[in-house]
Amino acid sequence: MPRALITGITGQDGLYLSEQLLGKGYQVYGLIRGQNNPKRALVERQVPGVQLLTGDITDLASLIRAFGVAQPDEVYNLAAISFVAYSWENAKLTSDVTALGVLNMLEATRLYAGDDISRVRFYQASSSEMFGKVQEVPQRETTLLWPRSPYGVSKVYGHYMTINYRESYGLHASSGILFNHESPRRGPEFVTRKVSIAVAQIALGLADGMSLGNLDAKRDWGFAGDYTDAMWRMLQADHADDYVIATGHTHSIRDFLDIAFARIGVDDWSGYVTVDPALFRPAEVDELRGDATKAREGLGWMPTVSFDELVAMMVDADLATQRETASRPA
Amino acid sequence: MTQSPRASDTSRSEPRRVLVTGATGQDGSYLVDRLADEAAEIHALVRPGDDAATALAERHPDITLHTGDLADATRLAAVVVAAEPDEIYHLAGISSVAQSWQQPVVTGTVTGLATAALLQSAWEFSQRAGRPVAFVQAASGEIFGDPDSSPQDESTPIAPVNPYGAAKAYAHHLVGVYRGRGLHACSAILYNHESPRRPDTFVTRKITRTVAAIARGDAQELVLGNLDARRDWGWAPDYVDAMMRAARHERADDYVIATGRAHAVRDFVAAAFAAAGIADWAGHVRTDPALYRPVDATELVGDSGRARRELGWAPTVEFGEIVARMVRADLDAPMH
Repeated sequence: MPRALITGITGQDGLYLSEQLLGKGYQVYGLIRGQNNPKRALVERQVPGVQLLTGDITDLASLIRAFGVAQPDEVYNLAAISFVAYSWENAKLTSDVTALGVLNMLEATRLYAGDDISRVRFYQASSSEMFGKVQEVPQRETTLLWPRSPYGVSKVYGHYMTINYRESYGLHASSGILFNHESPRRGPEFVTRKVSIAVAQIALGLADGMSLGNLDAKRDWGFAGDYTDAMWRMLQADHADDYVIATGHTHSIRDFLDIAFARIGVDDWSGYVTVDPALFRPAEVDELRGDATKAREGLGWMPTVSFDELVAMMVDADLATQRETASRPA
Repeated sequence: MTQSPRASDTSRSEPRRVLVTGATGQDGSYLVDRLADEAAEIHALVRPGDDAATALAERHPDITLHTGDLADATRLAAVVVAAEPDEIYHLAGISSVAQSWQQPVVTGTVTGLATAALLQSAWEFSQRAGRPVAFVQAASGEIFGDPDSSPQDESTPIAPVNPYGAAKAYAHHLVGVYRGRGLHACSAILYNHESPRRPDTFVTRKITRTVAAIARGDAQELVLGNLDARRDWGWAPDYVDAMMRAARHERADDYVIATGRAHAVRDFVAAAFAAAGIADWAGHVRTDPALYRPVDATELVGDSGRARRELGWAPTVEFGEIVARMVRADLDAPMH
């Protein structure tokens, strides 16, 4: 039975990936940070087959211990301070976790592998935020990186370090340059989930509007479950490499709002949405649109969920959740 | 050396500005409730992406949340500057002894070094603003380790026996250092204090939750470590009250906050089953040596004489009632 160790197990991708790996018969270990982690119960409920190990990617000693217990064949490093807005307020923490944390994970992997570097494979969750001020559209694996936030800068460090462990130590280390990917499990601080929750609440009379930043920001949004499948495919390939994972299509926040509100029968949503300049990014990234040709040709990967289906899935899930919350006695 | 500035000011016209770390924890939540009652301007340090922070803001819409992590000293300094506090309550940290054995490095950073960043920032802000800042450190009876004498007071030698206690001891000593520098810095050496808001990673809440589940027929067995371990257990809101008194007392000092009476885990278990109406509990309880601590202080009991004399503080809820309140809360709110 193959064994996998996943960091960022409490996040959206960690949950989908662990579900998929458990379904393939893997023994799955998840690294979880700190005591009283409020998300521990969520993981235990949604993916009860995962064995949770306490550790922190800023603490190499705790990683070495976790590797010793998990004895992984595959390592998926998904942990990060992943919200761009927070990364401005918490630039040092973002650098410690999202950048240096990757180095700690690579070191722990190398130390665990010992004399036989081929006994373990490594996946690094890189991000389209590395393209930032985009140098070409669409972006591919060869596009010059130009990050525009502490998060993006940190992800670039992790990306290049992963490549260096591959080239210098021969580690089977792949970096997936994932464009935005969403789902009903997306954290509520992300704009897509913020919208789907608010729309569900409006439909049920629990809220009367929402406040958003730049409605014209465009993103290449895919379904998270498709993207975690791409991660697994990368580690099954004969050779480690870097892959852009994207749908190749962009939509604006406006488009997202159109479909989300249409789902609850509202055509004109302008009365429900106010634009708050405080929510604009200090430096907005330009058109992020990925070209996943290499993943399609090399890994046989394709997105299976369209943008419209994704938005509908998120709104429907939040409608169900909000209905349940509203009907629960106080 | 200037005299330590007085932190309390009864004639103030502007609301008191208070910075709380650990506001989403047991003590922090009681403290924020108290501060909100007195219309203080509350600033809370919360971890980026922490769902508990959202719940906190829903309960107290006027609170100002500052995202930050105790491992990020740079950010802590910026938060102190932004909050411009009259009082800082530093309650956050790795608070589990078991956790500290698994992650001694993180425990040192988060529970130890973060206090240095906050004290230095508080002192700098106080100097720059020309007004006093009261700093209260939530220290722990664990700094005494496995003491020769019982009960312990402020003069008991500090000799921790686990990484959590060692990190707390470092922070405690540094509070004394900054008090010497002129900051109104207090260390409240809190013995165990419980409530229905205790997370169930702590043995007390684990007991009351499981006992409530057994009473409902949802669970069969309560698995525990050393039933003979003895602790001095108090009522958490009383301990929060003690920290507020320390912040506002005319002179900064360290205070042991404790009930002065120890009970065994076994006593807690018996009281919990009694509160749930189960007289014969022995068959429901099993001990597992894996849950024993590597080194367990056999008896930690605090002498809070100084706090009683100087702060007029006294515990208001006795042991049996604490256990009964926790069990009642768990019977009323079944676990999901």
